[in-house]
Amino acid sequence: MNVTKLVETLGLDVVSGPFEREIAGVYVGDLLSNVMAKAERDNLWITIQGHQNVVAVASLTEVAAVIVVEDFELEEVAIERAQERQVNILRTPLTAYELVKKLINLGI
Amino acid sequence: MRELALHILDIAQNSIAAAASLVTISIDEQPGRDLLRIEVADNGRGIPPEELAQITDPFFTSRTTRDVGLGLPLFAQAAERAEGKFEVKSVPGRGTEVTATLRYSHIDRAPLGDLTGTLLGIIVPNPELDLIYTHYYKQKSFLLGTGEIKSTLGRIAISHPEVVSWLRDFIQAGLDDLYGGE
Repeated sequence: MNVTKLVETLGLDVVSGPFEREIAGVYVGDLLSNVMAKAERDNLWITIQGHQNVVAVASLTEVAAVIVVEDFELEEVAIERAQERQVNILRTPLTAYELVKKLINLGI
Repeated sequence: MRELALHILDIAQNSIAAAASLVTISIDEQPGRDLLRIEVADNGRGIPPEELAQITDPFFTSRTTRDVGLGLPLFAQAAERAEGKFEVKSVPGRGTEVTATLRYSHIDRAPLGDLTGTLLGIIVPNPELDLIYTHYYKQKSFLLGTGEIKSTLGRIAISHPEVVSWLRDFIQAGLDDLYGGE
């Protein structure tokens, strides 16, 4: 599945993007150093973090998209940086657990 | 990072990369004042003012291998997450001072972590470096100065396995004594 299709299917808010990326797998985490070590290219990264450091980590790990759950706020500078770097940032009021259940049902 | 000690190691490595011959690390834990202050200072080449202004921007880096630098931004974020402050002062040609002040009891404050491993991780691969480490906990303090140790050792390297083993025990005993069994 690609990011655009995921946005349509789950009704996610698009904060930055959608830039065309195929999705392969999911990583959930808020500790950025751990995400840097564990997230893989093309993963969806689920977090509550909205700091611009998230965009830097997403850019480094080449994840397909960041999904900010529980409607956590994103810093304005983070949104600007994500748009500049073509990093997909999506948002949902769902919890990480609720979102992961939906992703599993979608076969991701 | 899961431990503040890893931020300290990262900043000290920046100091070494900036050709510092002296790194001073100071940790001040004052639970009664709800304060944890971490300072890493060096006598390295310093940071030009135009770079200093962008020092916590993850998309600004002096690296040439990639265009993202997360060491200082992550430390700054760790301080902010604990309702703290983060400051970097630098004078080109004289050195840099990084200070993080965190609310000690904040639920999101990362633990200090493995300070013994961090100090050895700075000292052992950099035997020429002088490190001064001061750690205060309430009214007690622990001081480690590698300059004095090296001068006592004479021609024996501070990275010699037996010296490293002694250092590990010395630091651990010093920290244990600092916390007094807490």
